[in-house]
Amino acid sequence: MIINPYSFGITYDPDAQAFITAAGITDNTQKTAINTLVVDMKGYGIWTKMKAIYPFVGGTATTHKFNLKNPADTNAAFRLVFNGGWTHSSTGALPNGVNGYADTFLNANTALQQFSHHNAFYHNTDNSGIGLRSMGGAQSSASVNFRTTIETSGTTLTYRDLGLTNAETPVTANTLRGFRASSRTANNNMFIVKADGTSTTPTTTTATNALPALNCYLAAHNNSGAGANYAIMSIAFHSLGDGLSAAEGLNLRNAVVTYNTTLGRL
Amino acid sequence: MIEVGLLTESQKNSLVGQLYDDDSYFNPIQDISDQWIISVEEMEFCVNPEFQWVKDLPLIEYKPKPEPPIEK
Repeated sequence: MIINPYSFGITYDPDAQAFITAAGITDNTQKTAINTLVVDMKGYGIWTKMKAIYPFVGGTATTHKFNLKNPADTNAAFRLVFNGGWTHSSTGALPNGVNGYADTFLNANTALQQFSHHNAFYHNTDNSGIGLRSMGGAQSSASVNFRTTIETSGTTLTYRDLGLTNAETPVTANTLRGFRASSRTANNNMFIVKADGTSTTPTTTTATNALPALNCYLAAHNNSGAGANYAIMSIAFHSLGDGLSAAEGLNLRNAVVTYNTTLGRL
Repeated sequence: MIEVGLLTESQKNSLVGQLYDDDSYFNPIQDISDQWIISVEEMEFCVNPEFQWVKDLPLIEYKPKPEPPIEK
């Protein structure tokens, strides 16, 4: 006799279930992946540090728009609004590099802490564009910024916040897949978590500037109210929130890799 | 070569703030010659019955404006 375990009803973590319900996720593998992601993040003690978590699961704009941390269909819940050209599929959300971006409605200045914030993402294609491409964030001036950008040369990935820069180099097109995060845990401690989970030596320059009073965008940065540096890469995870330690960044990376492994879209 | 749909000023104005599917907005931008364009994805995936005419827009080669400089 074959027993279908789903016929008995599986109980998911309440936060996972809330997202599954809001996004209308029906696939059992996707449900399991979401549940494991939530459980892992709670187990690592990083769930409470998240303001917005975009799992990009379900394959449509409607399922991709929801914030796992607060899956209400409102701007105040940091639900994404997609603008311009995107292609949504089971592998994630692919912006077109022409005019595609997503507005998180998360104002960096008011929703994040000046000296404790992170910006993490997982891309499962290379960035096929050339020239300047932003992975997301916002900037109102050279000294008031929070964004990650591939430089024109295509060999440097820069992480900018509070007017300071931390760079990962060299990078090439085929090394831009996978997990990346920038994290600030103090006014004089900002570092990068790389694809393999290792961290760079922290930049210890003391920051004094503010975070931009702008909504963070994904797949471009919000340049004083307009999209700029539109990117081309499939997004399979993005989170914004409080600063993470190097160990927490590694744990987040591992949870996200497990999540995307379950979904078969590394 | 990336192709995009060419808009008139009037067509651009009619698309601003409008949805092309349940959860995606048109985002007309200007190319290097200040012509208004939308992407082929917006044209192809448009299911809003009011804007089905975008599927018939003439296609042109996309020549972007220079990207904003990285301010250091």
